[in-house]
Amino acid sequence: MSGDDPVAAFRVEAGELLDQVEQGLLDLGHQLGDMDLVNAVFRGLHTLKGSGAMFGFEALAEFTHHCEGAFDKVRKGQVTATHELIAVVLSAQDHMRALIDGGRGLDTAGDAILTRLDAALGAAEETALDTSIKNADRAGWKLSFRLPANAMTNGINPLVLLDELRELGEARIIARTDRVPDFAELVPTECHIGWDVTLMTDAPKSAIEDVFIFVMDDMELTIEPLATDEVPQSGAAEQTIAAQGPVTKPEPGEGSGPLAHAAKARAGESVRVPAERLDALMDRVGELVIAQSRLAQIAGGGTDLALRSVSEEIERLAGEMRDATMVLRMVPVASLFGRFRRLIHDLARETSKSIELVTEGEATEVDKTIVERLFDPLVHIVRNSCDHGLEPPAERAALGKSETGTVKLSARQAGGDVLITVCDDGRGIDRERVRAKAEAQGLILPSQQLGDGELFQLIFHPGFSTAAQVTNLSGRGVGMDVVKRTVEGLRGRIDVASRPGEGSTITLSIPLTLAIIDGLLVRVGTDRFVVPLAAVEECLELSLEEDMRSRGRSVITLRDRLVPFLRLRELFETGTRPDPFQKIVVVGIGAERVGLVVDQIIGNHQTVIKPMSALHRNVATFTGATILGDGGVALILDIGQLVAVGQAQEERLRAAG
Amino acid sequence: MTASILTVDDSASLRMAIRIALSGAGYQVYEAADGVEGLAKAEATRFDLIVTDLNMPRMDGLSMIRELRKRPAQAGVPIIFLTTESDGEMKAEARAAGATGWLVKPFVPDQLVKIAKKVLGR
Amino acid sequence: MPPVEAMDSIHWNEAGQLEVLAFELAGETFAVEAAGVQEILDLLPETVVPGASPLVASVINFRGRIIPLADLRLAFGMARTEANRDSRIVVIAVDRGGEEVLVGLKADRVHEVTTLERNSSEEPPVIGMRWRRELVRGLVRREAGLVVLPDIHAVFAPTSSGSTPPGASAPPIH
Repeated sequence: MSGDDPVAAFRVEAGELLDQVEQGLLDLGHQLGDMDLVNAVFRGLHTLKGSGAMFGFEALAEFTHHCEGAFDKVRKGQVTATHELIAVVLSAQDHMRALIDGGRGLDTAGDAILTRLDAALGAAEETALDTSIKNADRAGWKLSFRLPANAMTNGINPLVLLDELRELGEARIIARTDRVPDFAELVPTECHIGWDVTLMTDAPKSAIEDVFIFVMDDMELTIEPLATDEVPQSGAAEQTIAAQGPVTKPEPGEGSGPLAHAAKARAGESVRVPAERLDALMDRVGELVIAQSRLAQIAGGGTDLALRSVSEEIERLAGEMRDATMVLRMVPVASLFGRFRRLIHDLARETSKSIELVTEGEATEVDKTIVERLFDPLVHIVRNSCDHGLEPPAERAALGKSETGTVKLSARQAGGDVLITVCDDGRGIDRERVRAKAEAQGLILPSQQLGDGELFQLIFHPGFSTAAQVTNLSGRGVGMDVVKRTVEGLRGRIDVASRPGEGSTITLSIPLTLAIIDGLLVRVGTDRFVVPLAAVEECLELSLEEDMRSRGRSVITLRDRLVPFLRLRELFETGTRPDPFQKIVVVGIGAERVGLVVDQIIGNHQTVIKPMSALHRNVATFTGATILGDGGVALILDIGQLVAVGQAQEERLRAAG
Repeated sequence: MTASILTVDDSASLRMAIRIALSGAGYQVYEAADGVEGLAKAEATRFDLIVTDLNMPRMDGLSMIRELRKRPAQAGVPIIFLTTESDGEMKAEARAAGATGWLVKPFVPDQLVKIAKKVLGR
Repeated sequence: MPPVEAMDSIHWNEAGQLEVLAFELAGETFAVEAAGVQEILDLLPETVVPGASPLVASVINFRGRIIPLADLRLAFGMARTEANRDSRIVVIAVDRGGEEVLVGLKADRVHEVTTLERNSSEEPPVIGMRWRRELVRGLVRREAGLVVLPDIHAVFAPTSSGSTPPGASAPPIH
């Protein structure tokens, strides 16, 4: 940057800005309906206008203002983008460059462009109505206001506001202390005082609203015109008392200016709530559920039928409240998918490929946090598909495929999970090369037999995908292991399928919610564990006899299918003896099943998921923990992990014959 | 005492413009290039006002505001954010994060000085 | 005087003093900075985490948060002792790569908060100590005996929370 000269710095930045706008305009020429591009162009022009004015380039600001205005109309859907409009703005751009360079005598050229712009817009400028209404009989304003409790913490100084009112005219200010809490409950940083102000001024109402502009949406404010006969005489004591009379509370919905009206109009359809408040609500519901399970335990242990019936009622209410709260956090994945249009567009240009994005199931709803956290992993996957999965147009044509490659993003709900799939019609993953690479890295033995599913999981191994371009999922230094970790952090998993020459499909299965699940509480040895109920298929008894018979083998026959099972007592090295009547809890993910042998099934349990400590993150068998009604802790089993262990065990046995 | 103002913006030219405008009005101006730097400087010194952009690398303005408001020592420090959109959503979000007020870009130096005076009362 | 550089991981105040909470473990006195201590708890029911490192083999419910319970004896290769009437859990905050993690430390007995003097401190000897040197920040002599200032960060650093219990091999020549 050139020393301390803001103008020089501005020239550099403006040049870059114009390059971006130009690129946007050119792209828009290919895709007239692309609102992302329209917005990008609009923002570029808007910023240019603003900084131009700031650095003294008035002619530039003035000229750019017209182009920005045109794109604002496109943005708002009042006008559609046309090739002519784009052409005019492109030439306007060159003019802007000239203005930035400090060219003179450009007015005529500028005017000519603007005339073309008007013609291209083809719509007459709407004259905005002057809404300001003069009020001749007004002597001033009577206002009454209260600031939000956190105003002072957030940097609003009430004294400064009062000073600002005083600047408008003679002000009579009375503090209302009726809502100041008792000293013991007083939080000194909160603002509990209200003010009534009689303001003698000929300033318009909007001037008063301007004083409160930063807090207007959260505060109580009424502004009423002061009739001439209400004007207090200077220094008259009675007037002060009169102004102290009953304070009219602002009626709900009675707005104070346009902002309040806009807020009211919106409120009818939906309410915007900051995410933290939802999180706080969810926490409280979580605590309620824990307290409820404690109550249920006490009630269940006694003989008091009335208590038990109340407890059941609360259990029902807590469950409904949990569901209702969960729904509040759900948003459609459309917002997530929408962000990929631009990415695909950019990737197509970068890779010189023709790529079409198809989306499906955008109305599927997922927890808001999940939507946010899925964006990055999906970008990695989509980018890899475009970079390496899809063939260049010529190659596709030679293969008899359509020259345009397709990337499909789809979402659907399946039980307690939402499945998000990225599917391309490219060349697919090269099985042999993945295998060779994995062997070279010592991840698998040359003799090892692996199914496609297992083999493709290797690409998520740390260090694997960052290596040379082996598969369509490698390269770019984007570690697929990061993708996998993020997804697993959401208690989800990734499946990869691929058909040579036909393309690959990557499916992320993510639980619908993060905070609370229905669980099956079981006991293994002396400790209790939670099995996510959504994964439970059935529960069977394992008699001692059968247990003896199955020693050395670890499969049971379930409706003509062999299902591997794991003795959790042994896996967890509890050092305890098995109960005489052990149970097998059969759990499944996708097509895979595994039976978990436990000592006792305690029952259903509303499980509020708490994260494991950072010091336990390397323990793969558990996804989290929960607090039980008696204050004890139960660990939550990671079904995906246990199924994998079970499958591996089965294969070992099969290999051993 | 001269009021001290921290301006946080990733655009060097905008920072410069803000500094010139505010120091011209008699304020002491300090600069930070992103949220991380802004947070570090704000923690080292209590400023009378912080003027921050929202869109920045490393740590955006919203996150910085949230972080600042988490610290009791920063309670009551006015924070003005700069936004290109006159969009109500962004304002609501920034206010919920703890911002004091905003200034819509583009602005002229006088507007910025006016806002600083409005919030500081001097 | 001990060399200053070697002791700079201990935050002595200007007067050369350090406020610590001292506690006993298998007959030794350990001390952690009082500022990092969150709470001292009576024993709570422990839940074993199968597969976790022996250092942090279980978790407890600390006011609705699930935190690991650590047994420093494992890090220092000392013999386990039975819980007794005086056994407590000292909950401390550990900075682990920028993330604050709460950990409960088992203690056979907790002493009150005391002040250690820099003048009486020495750095851990290069040889002849029964513990891994990198896990000890310093030793402080007091009338009642030697106080060990463990390097809590090193004990819980991502690498040392692995499965091999550290410190078991050094010969005791104390």
